[in-house]
Parts: sequence; structure tokens; C-alpha cells
Amino acid sequence: MKDFSIRLIWRIFSGIIMVLVVASLTFFLVRMMPGNPVDAQYNQLIMQGMTPVQAQNQVRVMYGFIPHSSLASQYMTYIANLLRLNLGQSVSYEGVSVSHIILNAAPWTLILVFTGLVASFLIGVLAGVIAAIKRSSPMGTTLTISGSLLHGVPQFVMGLLLAYVFTTLWPILPFGAPYDSSIAAGFNLPFVSSLISHAVLPVATYALSSYGGWLLTMKSSVITVLGDDFILASEIRGLKAATRVRYIAHNAILPLFTLFTLSIGFMFGGSVFIENIFDYPGLGNLLLKSIDARDYPLMSGAFLLITIAVIISNIVTDFLYSMVDPRIRR
Amino acid sequence: MNAERSIQSPKLYKTAAQSKQSFLKTAWKAIIRKKSRFAGFIIILFFTLMAIIGPNLYPKELPIDSNAIYAPISWKYLLGTDFEGTSNLALIITGARYVLLAAALGALFTVIFGTVLGLIAGYFVGWSDSIIMRVTDLFLTVPSFPLLVVLSTVWNFGQPLAMGFVLGITGWGGMARAVRSQTLSLRERGFVEAAKGLGLSPFYILFREILPNVSSYIGMNLLTSITGCIYAEVGLFFLGVVPFHVNNWGVMLNMAVFSAGAMSSPTALPYLLSPLLALLILTLGIVLFLDAIDEIFNPRLREDV
Repeated sequence: MKDFSIRLIWRIFSGIIMVLVVASLTFFLVRMMPGNPVDAQYNQLIMQGMTPVQAQNQVRVMYGFIPHSSLASQYMTYIANLLRLNLGQSVSYEGVSVSHIILNAAPWTLILVFTGLVASFLIGVLAGVIAAIKRSSPMGTTLTISGSLLHGVPQFVMGLLLAYVFTTLWPILPFGAPYDSSIAAGFNLPFVSSLISHAVLPVATYALSSYGGWLLTMKSSVITVLGDDFILASEIRGLKAATRVRYIAHNAILPLFTLFTLSIGFMFGGSVFIENIFDYPGLGNLLLKSIDARDYPLMSGAFLLITIAVIISNIVTDFLYSMVDPRIRR
Repeated sequence: MNAERSIQSPKLYKTAAQSKQSFLKTAWKAIIRKKSRFAGFIIILFFTLMAIIGPNLYPKELPIDSNAIYAPISWKYLLGTDFEGTSNLALIITGARYVLLAAALGALFTVIFGTVLGLIAGYFVGWSDSIIMRVTDLFLTVPSFPLLVVLSTVWNFGQPLAMGFVLGITGWGGMARAVRSQTLSLRERGFVEAAKGLGLSPFYILFREILPNVSSYIGMNLLTSITGCIYAEVGLFFLGVVPFHVNNWGVMLNMAVFSAGAMSSPTALPYLLSPLLALLILTLGIVLFLDAIDEIFNPRLREDV
């Protein structure tokens, strides 16, 4: 137990270091950009009739540091602000704090990808077990081929195809918004059903493009387990086929469990294409829009949150895995 | 030193050459064993040829024809035309070079960075290992596609080489980890100990003794990272975060969806479908071919038993 907490503290500490490294990276990236966006913003505010002091203060609020001071002191103010969870203000949404905007966008991504992830995981793992056990039969081959093909198709191709088929060719689903804007937002049946019907295609895109990966990984994991001695032993002991399948699945799913928790972290940044195609107001879309609008404080904020999600899920994965897999537990 | 040279008997080299030849033979056998694999091989060959000779078939500036804007599919325009009346087929064929060259370079850089760093970390252990592994952790943690999107604000992706370099820089982490763990197990083996005993230089041991033993893994990774690179690169153009001064399938997709309204207007549909079709066929080819690669490198998957 003492070991456990020391390891946890160490992992959290190195996670924080990692966040600081990524934050520094984006800081220097923005400073290095051609046309220096910080100076450009400052000059633009002067042109709008602000005094140099006012403009300097405004830029400081936006980017989290004072323009025209030394690079080292700019960097120190930026990091100090960051540690106080102050990510500055957005340039394109005037006067709104970056943290407010990204926290509003995060749930959209979370719900979209989490639903897709769970659906594809359940179906993919089940299909993977079948594909491995029946790998010499036509059914197993068909499953494997479906997995390889779906795994191979890039997410944006999948999204565009689904969108075309179900919104233009056979228009049964809506497209291009998170919900019907003519319905008053709130917790009522028409609004909720509009939310759901608009989410079907993005979720399906995510689920279909990750299904193949789960299937193939589960299949190869099951095949590895099939060669283990305890399976042979259970066969010799004359255990029922259903029991044997349970043994196999139980042992084969462990490596996938790690991948699953890792995917939860990556899902914040993993739906850039889907959010872009279906105009879903999540983090990926926010990142793209901030680049389009040259809104660099928002860009660094969104990118930072995407990274933090991955770091946290890495730590969680590490510890959950040592709890689930008795071979690693000490 | 001379005495040491003579220890490497010429016979050893011969067997290496022979094993290379027999490797190609088993690879070829695995490819032609199934029709689907052979089809995949042909598709990849076809796209490679398209990338190499394609741009030479057309003038540097593709002809535009204001009378044939969004022309339907016909004998003259096998895949229809785009918003300026340029043949979609010509756009696909000439665009293939950037798409495939950048992906090949990206995969090459990924594999080179990953292999060299993984070999060094795994062989020397100690401080170089800790430094390399911390950096690897960083690159494995930072989500690579969003990072590419952010990097697109400062990086000029006009040349395939520049694109490939960034794809390699963001993607080598997993490769380095895997090569390191294989090197760690190989460095304890007899032949490495023997080479050390002979006083051969560490770099000779790394690149002449250990590298050949991980080469099959490297070859497999080269192919799989090509697909990853194609998607990332075409995807960046599709999202429109990269300036459009090159002909690329992603640019076509972006223009078709976001400017031409191909999702709702049937006239612009061929413009959307042609790059989608090219990507799908190439994907299919790679998927079918990877099946053969799987069998070559992973004997456990062979189902003859």
C-alpha cells in the first residue's frame, strides 16, 4: 500500500511536468509564429485607438503575459497564470475566458466519443472472440475481413460516406448541427430526441471506424491465449465449451482493457474529423476554429486540455491495470 | 584489427545473402497464395506507378475549361470535372505523387527515428536510455493528430519532404519503445556477447549484429505507418488547416464538401467521390496486402495445422 501511494505520487508529479512541457511548447510556438500574433494583436489594438498601456493590458489578459517584456519574464507570467488555471482570454469570442469556452466544448466530445467507444468495444470484442475461435470457418473469415476493412477506412472517409448516404441519398437523419435550433433548448422530449437524432451519425462514424481495431486486437489476443497450457488442460479435463470460451475471453481481454482506458484519454482529441464533418461543437472543432480565426490563446487552451486528458487516463490506466491483472499486482 | 576482420568468414556473408533470397521467396509465395493478397499487391503497385509517372502525363498547370464546370461523367472526363472544369481523373493522378511520397517519407522517418533511438536506448542502457525514454514518453503522450494540427500553424507543408518529416517526428514513439525492448532481450544473447568479446565497436554491433534481427519488425512497421501517414496527411488537407498550394486528394475533399456543397448538390458529386474512391481503393489494397505481411512475419497465424 505504501509502495502504491509513492508510485501514484511519482506518476502525478511526472504528469504535471509533462503538462508544463506541453504548455511551454505551445508558448514558444505562438512566439515563434511568422508575423508574431502577440505583437500583431498589440498593434491592432493601438490602431483601434487604445493607448499603449491599455493595449498592453488587453494583450496581457488575452495571452497571459505582457508583450515587449523579456522572453523569460513573459514565460514566467504565462506559467504562473497557468498554475492558477488562468488560460487567458479568447480573441475571437471577445471577453470570454478560454477555460470557460473549452469547458463548454468538452462535454460534447465526451458524450459523442464515449458512446461510440463503448458501442464499438462491446461489439468488436464479441466479434473478435468469434473470429478467433471460428477462424477457419467462412463466418470467422467474414468477420476478420469486415474488421480489417473498417479498420483501414480513414475516419473522415467513413464520416463523409455515412453523411452522404443517410442525409442526401436516403435522407432519414439530420446533418450539420448538434441539435435543431428551432426547438427551445431544455429538458423536454422534442429537444432531447433532436439531440439524439443529430448524434446518431457522428457516434456511428466513431463506432464503425474503431470497431475493426477492437476486433483485430481481440482476435490476436484470443489466438495467443489459445496456445496457453491452461486451455489445453481445461480441454483435457473435459470442461464444457462455454466454460472454456469464458476462460479464454477472460484472459484475452486484459490487454484490451488497457487499450480501452487509454482510448478514453485519446478521445478528447480523437474526434477532430467527426466534429468537423458533422459540425459538432466539441474540442476538436474548437481547435480547428481557433486556428481558422487565429485565436491562439484558445488554440493553446484546447490543445492543453486534450493533452491533460491523455495524461490523466495514462495514470488511471496504469493503476487500474495493476488492480485488474493479478500477475502485475504485487 | 586485421586479425579481427578475418574472423568474419566469407561464409557468413553468403548465408546472409542466401537467407535474404529465401526470405523474398517465402514473401512472394505468401503473396500469391491467395488471390486477394495478389490483388492488394497489384493495387499498391498501380498506385506507386501512378505516383511516379502520373504527373508527367499532364502539363504542369492542368487545363481548365469554363464550359465544362462540374461536367458529368463521360468518355472525355472519366470521373467528371471540378469547379473550374479540370478533369477529376487528372487531379487524382497528379495528386497521387504528393500523397504517396509524403506518406512514404513519413513512414521512413518514423522508422529511422524509432529504430535508431530504440537501438541506442536498449543497447547502452544507463543515462542515454533514461533520456531517450523520457522523450519517448512525451511523444507517446501528446496526442499526435491534434499536435499536427497545431504544428500546421507554423510549419510549411508545401513539400512532401517537409510533411513527411513532421509525420515522422510526431509518430516515432511507439516504434522506439518496441525496438528498445527487442534490443534489451537481444543484447544478452550469445552472438552479441561474442561480438563484444572480439572488441567490435558498439556501433558495428548495433547496426550489423542487432539491427538485422529486428529488421522484420521494422519492415512490417514501415508498411503500417505508411497507411497512418496517408490518413494524417490527407486529413490535414481535408480539414483545411494547411494552405492549399499543392494538388492533393485532401484538398479535393475539402473543396468538394465545404465549397462546392457536394453533399447536397448532385452536380458536384463526382468531385467528392473521386478522391474518396482513390482513398478507398488504396486502403483496400493495403489491407489485402497486409494480410500477406502478417503471415510472413507471424507464423502463428498460419492455419495449415
